[in-house]
Amino acid sequence: MRAAAAARPITLGPSIGRSTAVLGGGALLLVAVALVSVAVGTTGVGAADAGAIVLHRLLGIGSPTWPAASETIIWELRLPRVVGGMLVGAGLACAGTVFQALLRNPMADPYVIGTAAGASLGAVAALLVPGLLPIVGVGWLGLGVVQVFAFVGGVVAVTVVFAVARGQGGTPVVTLLLAGYAISSLLSAGVALLMFVSGDRLAAVVMWLLGSLGGASWPRLAFAAPLIVGSFVLILLRWRRLNALLLGEEQAGHLGVDVEREKRILTGLAALATSAGVAISGTIGFVGLVVPHLLRFAFGPDHRLLLPASMVYGAALLVLADLGARVAGGIPVGIVTALLGAPFFLWLLRRSLGPRLAP
Amino acid sequence: MGTPRRTPTLARVTLLLIAVLVSACTASSTSSSPSQSSATGSVTLTDDAGREVTLAGPAQRIVSLAPSNTEIVCALDACDRLVGVTDFDDFPTEVVDLPKVVVQTQVDLERLVAAEPDLVLAAGNELTPSSVIERIEDLGVPILVLYPESLDEVYADIELVGDAIDRRAEANELVDGLRVRVAAVEDAVAGVSAPLTLYEVFHAEGTTYTAGEGSFLASLLALAGAEPVTGDAEGVMGAEELAAADPELILLGTASYDSALADPAAALDAVRARPGWGELAAVRDGNVIPYLADIVTTRPGPRIVDGLEALARAIHPDRFD
Repeated sequence: MRAAAAARPITLGPSIGRSTAVLGGGALLLVAVALVSVAVGTTGVGAADAGAIVLHRLLGIGSPTWPAASETIIWELRLPRVVGGMLVGAGLACAGTVFQALLRNPMADPYVIGTAAGASLGAVAALLVPGLLPIVGVGWLGLGVVQVFAFVGGVVAVTVVFAVARGQGGTPVVTLLLAGYAISSLLSAGVALLMFVSGDRLAAVVMWLLGSLGGASWPRLAFAAPLIVGSFVLILLRWRRLNALLLGEEQAGHLGVDVEREKRILTGLAALATSAGVAISGTIGFVGLVVPHLLRFAFGPDHRLLLPASMVYGAALLVLADLGARVAGGIPVGIVTALLGAPFFLWLLRRSLGPRLAP
Repeated sequence: MGTPRRTPTLARVTLLLIAVLVSACTASSTSSSPSQSSATGSVTLTDDAGREVTLAGPAQRIVSLAPSNTEIVCALDACDRLVGVTDFDDFPTEVVDLPKVVVQTQVDLERLVAAEPDLVLAAGNELTPSSVIERIEDLGVPILVLYPESLDEVYADIELVGDAIDRRAEANELVDGLRVRVAAVEDAVAGVSAPLTLYEVFHAEGTTYTAGEGSFLASLLALAGAEPVTGDAEGVMGAEELAAADPELILLGTASYDSALADPAAALDAVRARPGWGELAAVRDGNVIPYLADIVTTRPGPRIVDGLEALARAIHPDRFD
């Protein structure tokens, strides 16, 4: 017995039963939230019609007994929004988990090293300069210019931060954070300057910066989904290395992890997922910061469980928040996530003051 | 430490509010053109954003995304064709109970689709966001953007809506009536000395929003026999610029929404207390008027002429005995 226990790997994983309970429970929650979100809206298209329409469109079952408007509402408005909420919520929570582990910083979120500021500058520039339209070509991948510029802006910003922070001995975490802070400040100043001169388009800029899933449509999701899901799969494959990094870079090196390489790869993947999400929804705060913490409180720091759980619970949280936002008269979902999430997070923080806060 | 950088939400909401107010008094130029009918009964129109829109026939189910558009439809005696309006709509009274498609300035696409419109009347200049206009186009609903920036463009938009709902004769009659009333105002104020006038659209933290240079509101003030204090194209003025302009007359459009400013004596005290305002000629001489007709003066529908008349009466009461 003792010998068998000693032979188990250093990173003691959660038991199969516990993982099943956590992920299964999360999946059930997500499905329930998604079903309610498709069935509930600001019009009276109810659960029965919603279910029948989805079945009809997906599987060709049944013949239309509903008004054409109901089909548009379910298939073109509610469903893309729900799927968009899942994608963005999952991507942000997963990226937040990665950055918190990689940077060993509890304040880290998906935006910490420049994605949000870069994407915002890209989007705002696209909103304000109609002349950009011919450069990129309208309808590229079914996306608007704003989405393309937001995505590119986020990825470029992270690349620049990484290049600036990289020295001879690698990329120290503190340097990375400080470079991220400085570049974000610079880009934010650019955003503020553009807003100042934006004149009558200021409202459009502000709405984008507040974050909303209202623009979610099938073509946009078709762009973001492969990036977010692909990044997630590649990140999940590296769960052992993320666990090793929790021990510190030196320890991780001793365990055979090429720390600098992992930093580059994981940052790149998390930045891709974040930028793809931001491109379709604007900058939605709080989900990427809080969901990883909540799950770490609840289930411990093992990334084999933490990564898929962050994906599932992040998706459920954002879909739920967006339902609230829709029903409450279309207020930006970023306000809802912060308004409801922050008090809950504070309560949890008070309850479990202490060592488990740090990842 | 790497603290995430985000603008506080309150500040953003404030900016949004300012954006709405600023965009309400800015200027750019667009035009509309008349329609053509074809043998099939379909009609092709060009809206104020220069978009060509084809309707299968006269619109029977109309969603209005701006109170000014609602008022145009109702002035053409087609209130009963409206199937969705905004939560700002208050005139005529029968539209108050119609389904709300715009809530808190946000277009609820789901309610819009549920109303099953065959025509959507949007507002220009990002009052209806261009992303929302594109989305409605994508959903296959005809959408006309109305953004009049002068009386002539209000007339043109009334005619445009008239074409869209097959009420062109009524539109022409309405426009003729408006032209007569505008001419009467012009006659009444002909030859007056035009006082240098500040129209206060909004005031916060020492910054005044007024009729921008070249804006619709500035042109109405001029027609009403005033010389408008304009500031820049956005109509934003700091206290120093205001002191330099030194208006002789101040119309507090803000009094339409703030009952504390509705009483003339209280309003004079309130503006005198603002830094630098006590030295303005208008304040020294007591020429500060709570102006209670802001809605019709800044809402570019048929009642804009009510607004012009109210402005002229406020500026030159002696000419309207």
